[in-house]
Amino acid sequence: MNFDPMTPIWLQVATRLKQQVATGALRPGAKLPGGRDLALQFGINPNTAARIYQELEREGVCDTRRGLGTFVTDREDRILALREEMALQALRRFMTDLSGLGMGAGDAIQLIQKEENTK
Amino acid sequence: MITSKQLTRKFGSKTAVDRVDLTLEPGHVYAMLGPNGSGKTTWMKMAAGLMKPTGGEILYDGQPVGISSRRFVAYMSTEPYFYNWMTVGDVGKYYQDFFEDFSMEKFERLLQHMELETGMKTRTLSSGMMAKLKIAVTMARDAKVYMLDEPFNGIDLLARDEIRRCILEEAKPEKVLILSSHLVEEMEAVADRAVFIRQGKLIEVRDLEEMRERDGVSMADRYREIYGHVEG
Amino acid sequence: MLKLMKYELRKTWFIKLILLGVTAVAEIIFLIGLYGRYEDTLAVGTFLLFLLAFCGLTVIGIASVVVLHRDMNTRQGYMLFMTPNSCYKILGAKVLECGISILLAGAFFFALGALDVSLVFARQGMLNLMWQRIQEALSHMTFAGRPIQLNLSVYIALGFSILASWFSTVMTAYLADVISSALLNGKKFNGLISFLIFIALSWGLGKLIALAVDGIRDIVPYLWVYSLCSLAVAAVMYWITARIMEKHLSV
Repeated sequence: MNFDPMTPIWLQVATRLKQQVATGALRPGAKLPGGRDLALQFGINPNTAARIYQELEREGVCDTRRGLGTFVTDREDRILALREEMALQALRRFMTDLSGLGMGAGDAIQLIQKEENTK
Repeated sequence: MITSKQLTRKFGSKTAVDRVDLTLEPGHVYAMLGPNGSGKTTWMKMAAGLMKPTGGEILYDGQPVGISSRRFVAYMSTEPYFYNWMTVGDVGKYYQDFFEDFSMEKFERLLQHMELETGMKTRTLSSGMMAKLKIAVTMARDAKVYMLDEPFNGIDLLARDEIRRCILEEAKPEKVLILSSHLVEEMEAVADRAVFIRQGKLIEVRDLEEMRERDGVSMADRYREIYGHVEG
Repeated sequence: MLKLMKYELRKTWFIKLILLGVTAVAEIIFLIGLYGRYEDTLAVGTFLLFLLAFCGLTVIGIASVVVLHRDMNTRQGYMLFMTPNSCYKILGAKVLECGISILLAGAFFFALGALDVSLVFARQGMLNLMWQRIQEALSHMTFAGRPIQLNLSVYIALGFSILASWFSTVMTAYLADVISSALLNGKKFNGLISFLIFIALSWGLGKLIALAVDGIRDIVPYLWVYSLCSLAVAAVMYWITARIMEKHLSV
């Protein structure tokens, strides 16, 4: 994974993991690698990696079970909420780009309609 | 784990290391940064016990650096230093003879990953292969402190990935690693703290993630801020 | 310690191999001269063997000092000084390896000499006569005004004193090199200064030992006292050299 060195790396990895849970690349209830393994997998410092699961757990994306490891949440509602959160983030980025072009929500809906019709 | 107190080293009238107070704490990977001649190598050599300070002191686990600390401190210098009559295998055997924490098995595994063979003569190695050999033999030790001076120099991309992997494998709570390199980008994800040195003096020690969060700058950006010339 | 010595030997084995090779060549010349009855060849062979016997020990000593110099002044020194060994041990290994090499080389040349002499006896009865003449001449040698009894104890004392003197010389060379390396820290003329210090030290120590043996009239006690003094001086120099190495280590 290529990192942007100007923003916290733990955040970038956490976002990537959230994406993987949202898209289903990481199945619900799947076992996540241990802290050190996570660090090795992504090529990051173990101290940086330690924070990732803390945050993800706080957001309800995963659970740590003592002695067993960290697992992706198997709660459907949480995964749905996560998907919606990621979609909203994508939407906000899209809207920011549009507003830079002088377009608003109305234009957005028209554009989406247009795209769908051409399919 | 390694603490230098007012550490100073002069060479005649030149002061290479100027009253540096620096503590390297276990469980961290430090990136040591500074232009050529800023004193990084000299500091490391004193920490490795290869050079005596002319002022101040340097301690390993509270005791002055010396013969016994060398058992736990693995140092890799920028320049090649193996005896030229040795083969790659001889280098491994030498380390095995003198360092209890050396693992021949790990060494051979690293050689394989670096595409080096035990029969090769050190005399005939290219600079890239020599650089890889130095890393392989240093990381095959199970030391408490690893000090690598320019570990990425002259090394191809895949081997650099391998070296970073090696470094992360040894990044354990009871160990400390310090890397000095001009290839700042290589260390961004691997290090968690940065030590900035200029003209022999310690400028600052920063936690990298905190720097990114608070200031939105990378290690390379901070480097430019500290050492770059202020433009009008 | 043994491991250190093993590597000291490997650092110098090349020179020793060459020495062995050249000696073999000289020996062949000698044998050709002897069995082919070529007098000139025999003379050349004999001369070469004598030369090698004297120079050989010197070369071994010099090689050892050169290796020390390299270890103290070049990158290769990292190999040695990054190991968890004190300078006393490091120097001790060098001294022992050199000492043993000189001892073995000395014994080797002595044995070779004895062998060649007996070959000469077997081959040419005439030389037996010449040998008797040499013996006669030697017996007229005197020491402090008294004739020398050429018996075994003299030979042993002489042999020991030669080795002790070589040992002390090598130790002086080590000290000289370490002093100049510590003072100059690898700058130019390091070798030259080293040599000058060596000359100065040798002269001074020679005077010191001369004082110690002054007045001894008998050759065997003289040689023994000389030997023991040389060794004592060598021991002190060893201690000083290791201390300087320890204090001024800077590769």
